[in-house]
Amino acid sequence: MTELTAELTAGTLNIGGENLDSSWFLILAGMLFMIGALGILIRRNPLVILICIELMLNAVNLTLITFSRQLGNLEGQLFALMVMTVAAAEAVVGLGILVDIIKLREIEDIDDLSELSG
Amino acid sequence: MGVVTLVFLVAAAMALAGSVGIIISRDPIRSVLSLVLVMIALSALFLLLSAQFIFAVQLIVYAGAVMVLFLFVIALLGPVRETVTTRLRGQVWIAVAVAAAMAFLIAALLGGNVRYVTPQKIDLSVFGSVEDIAFGLFTTYLYPFELTSLLLLVAAVGAIYLSRREQD
Repeated sequence: MTELTAELTAGTLNIGGENLDSSWFLILAGMLFMIGALGILIRRNPLVILICIELMLNAVNLTLITFSRQLGNLEGQLFALMVMTVAAAEAVVGLGILVDIIKLREIEDIDDLSELSG
Repeated sequence: MGVVTLVFLVAAAMALAGSVGIIISRDPIRSVLSLVLVMIALSALFLLLSAQFIFAVQLIVYAGAVMVLFLFVIALLGPVRETVTTRLRGQVWIAVAVAAAMAFLIAALLGGNVRYVTPQKIDLSVFGSVEDIAFGLFTTYLYPFELTSLLLLVAAVGAIYLSRREQD
């Protein structure tokens, strides 16, 4: 049984005998999340917007798993599993709707689907 | 600098490069392939954080199934190149500025003085293993787990409904 005695200061993760700060993982996740949000704001292709949503969900998963490791609590990993389920369901339904819309009429970009904006 | 730090740096660089590639490539198929790169890099990070089961699920479900679904849709719709017309003048620069400000806030918060109590010992031989995940999933969190199965059923029925042929 390998029990790692722990971390000298809070926030430091002992991985394989080396000390990594958990804020590295969290900052990386924050950057990935904001790049995904930026993609949703600036891209016009609905397919790419769905891809960016997947990227944001993955960034959230990284924070969940980092906190799970840091706090020694498995619930973060379980919740990451549920986020993956939601992401898969969202991709299936979103892509189905997108294919249906494109079969129905020609769209150039996401601004052609602005009927609901009033 | 040891091996673990090196693995982290390489995986983080791959993830950042892939995510930038998603939003700057004009061709949707390159965006999807960049996302696959991000998924693989993140799965390496999950393994570093001793989440072995999530690592396997990430590779099989995400990089395997969901990305293939995206590729199928692109193959179905044909190569759609994106025009660079925007209705709002300067939208790109405003969006970049807002995202940079928000990323700075997130980094300041997460890299700053927010610290959480770390337990004295974690048994890393079982933490994140299939047995550990299954124990949590089928005892304490059985109800949410069943709800996700209901969600998947609803999504499958919805996808079949959306792809039906019109009965004239």
